Amino acid sequence: MSKTYVVPTEISELNKVEDKLNLIKDIKRSFSVYRIDCGSCNGCEIEIFASITPMWDPERFGFKLVASPRHADILLCTGPVTRQMYYPLLRAYEAAPDPKIVVGYGACGSTGGIFHDCYSTWGGVDKVIPVDVWIPGCPPHPASTIYGLATALGILDQKLKKTEHKDGTDEAPKIEDSIFDNTLFEREVMERARVMMGYLHGRELYKAYIDALKPIEDIYNPVKTKETLLEAIKKEDDPRFKECMMILHNEVYLKHLKRFKNINKCHPTICFTKEEMELAYD
Amino acid sequence: MKLLDMTRKYGSATYEYPFAPYTVADGFRGKPEYDYDKCIGCTACGVACPSNAINVELNEAKDKLVWKFDCGRCIYCGRCDEVCPTNAVMLGSDFETAVKFNKEDLIETGELDVEYCQKCGKVFTTKRLIAYCVENFKKVGWSERVIEEKTKYITTCPECKKAESVELVSKHYSKGVKK
Repeated sequence: MSKTYVVPTEISELNKVEDKLNLIKDIKRSFSVYRIDCGSCNGCEIEIFASITPMWDPERFGFKLVASPRHADILLCTGPVTRQMYYPLLRAYEAAPDPKIVVGYGACGSTGGIFHDCYSTWGGVDKVIPVDVWIPGCPPHPASTIYGLATALGILDQKLKKTEHKDGTDEAPKIEDSIFDNTLFEREVMERARVMMGYLHGRELYKAYIDALKPIEDIYNPVKTKETLLEAIKKEDDPRFKECMMILHNEVYLKHLKRFKNINKCHPTICFTKEEMELAYD
Repeated sequence: MKLLDMTRKYGSATYEYPFAPYTVADGFRGKPEYDYDKCIGCTACGVACPSNAINVELNEAKDKLVWKFDCGRCIYCGRCDEVCPTNAVMLGSDFETAVKFNKEDLIETGELDVEYCQKCGKVFTTKRLIAYCVENFKKVGWSERVIEEKTKYITTCPECKKAESVELVSKHYSKGVKK
C-alpha cells in the first residue's frame, strides 16, 4: 500500500508507555473495550462474544464491551486491515480518548495471518497504528482472550519469550528398533494407520498396535501373535481402535510375514475374520 | 426464590480461569511445540505451512539453516505436526500466547548445521538429515555395500544428480545410434 498513516503529534504525545501504564493503574477494575472489525472473517468476533458469556464472565475484572470508540479505553482490532476498513480504523483510533491501548486480536490482527501477503490488505494492525498487545490465535480461545486482557492489565505475567536454539549436535534423533528388523514394517503401519484415522489418532493407533506386538517373543509365529493381539484388543475401550488394529494386522503384518513364511493369509487362526471385527462394536 | 434454588442446585458455571489454571479439552490445538533435538531440518513443515508461520531458510552467511516460527501468524491447522517425520513439531496445549509491547517475543528460531554437496561443494541440506537417513538405512537391514552406495547418492545435491544421470543416459544413447 502506498500511503502510510503517521500518528499526529498531539495523539502520540499523549500515548507514551508511561501514560498507558498510568491509565491501567487508574482504570484498575473498569475498562471499556471497543471492538473494531477491520475485515475479519468473523471468527474472532464469535470468540470475543463467546468470551463475554457467563462461562468466562470477564466482568469479574471489569471487562465491558462498549458501543462507541469515544467510550473506550482499549481498542480490540480484529482482521488484517483491508483497504476498505483502513479509514474506519483510523477514525475509530483518533476518536478514542487518550491514552488508548490498542490490541491486535487474532492471527490476522497481529501479523496478517493467512492474509499476510494478500493484495488489498495491510497485513496486520501494527502496520497502520501502534499496537501494544498482541493476542495470536485463529481465532483465539476465550481463555486466550482473557489471558491477553489480563496480561495487558498486569494481572498475569507474559509467558512467551523469544527463544533461540543454537549449537545442537549433528547426530540424528534416536530411531526405535524395528520388530521385524526392518523399519519399513513400522513405516507401513504408520502410513496405513494415518490413512484410516488421520494424523492425530493414527499416531495413537500406531502406538497401541506396536505396543501390543512388542512383548511377543516369536513374531514369526502368526497364531500366537494373533492370540496376544486379541488380548490387547480386548483391553482397548474404543471400538474404532479395536477394528483398525485388526485391519492393520490383516493388511500389514500378514503381508510382511509372507516374505518370510509361506502362509495362508485368509486362514481364521491367522487373520481376523469378519465376525471378529463385528464383535468389536458389541 | 425458585431461581435461587436452581442456581444453588447447579452451582457456578463460570471458569475460575485467570485466578486458577484452565485445562483445555482433549485434542485442543494449541501452540506448536518445537523440539530442537529432534529436528532434522527437512523443511517439510515450512512447505506445508499455509500461512508461512514456519519459514526454513539459510542465514545470510549461508552456513546455517534457520527454522523460524512466528506464533503471531500461526493458524493452528496442525499441518506441520502432520508432516513432521520425527515429531519435532507437535501441537501442544498452550493457549497463553499473548505478548505486550514487544512482538519479537512471538518468534522462535532453531539453527542447524548445513551439509555441502560432495561434488560441487554447494549447500543443499543439513548434516542431521544425512545422519538420520544413514541411521534409517541401517535399520532397514541392507548390506554394507548398498548402504555405502545410497549414502553416496544422498550426499550429492539434486543438480549434480541430474547432470550425472543425463550424462549416463546420453552415453547409452550414443552407443545405439548408427554413425
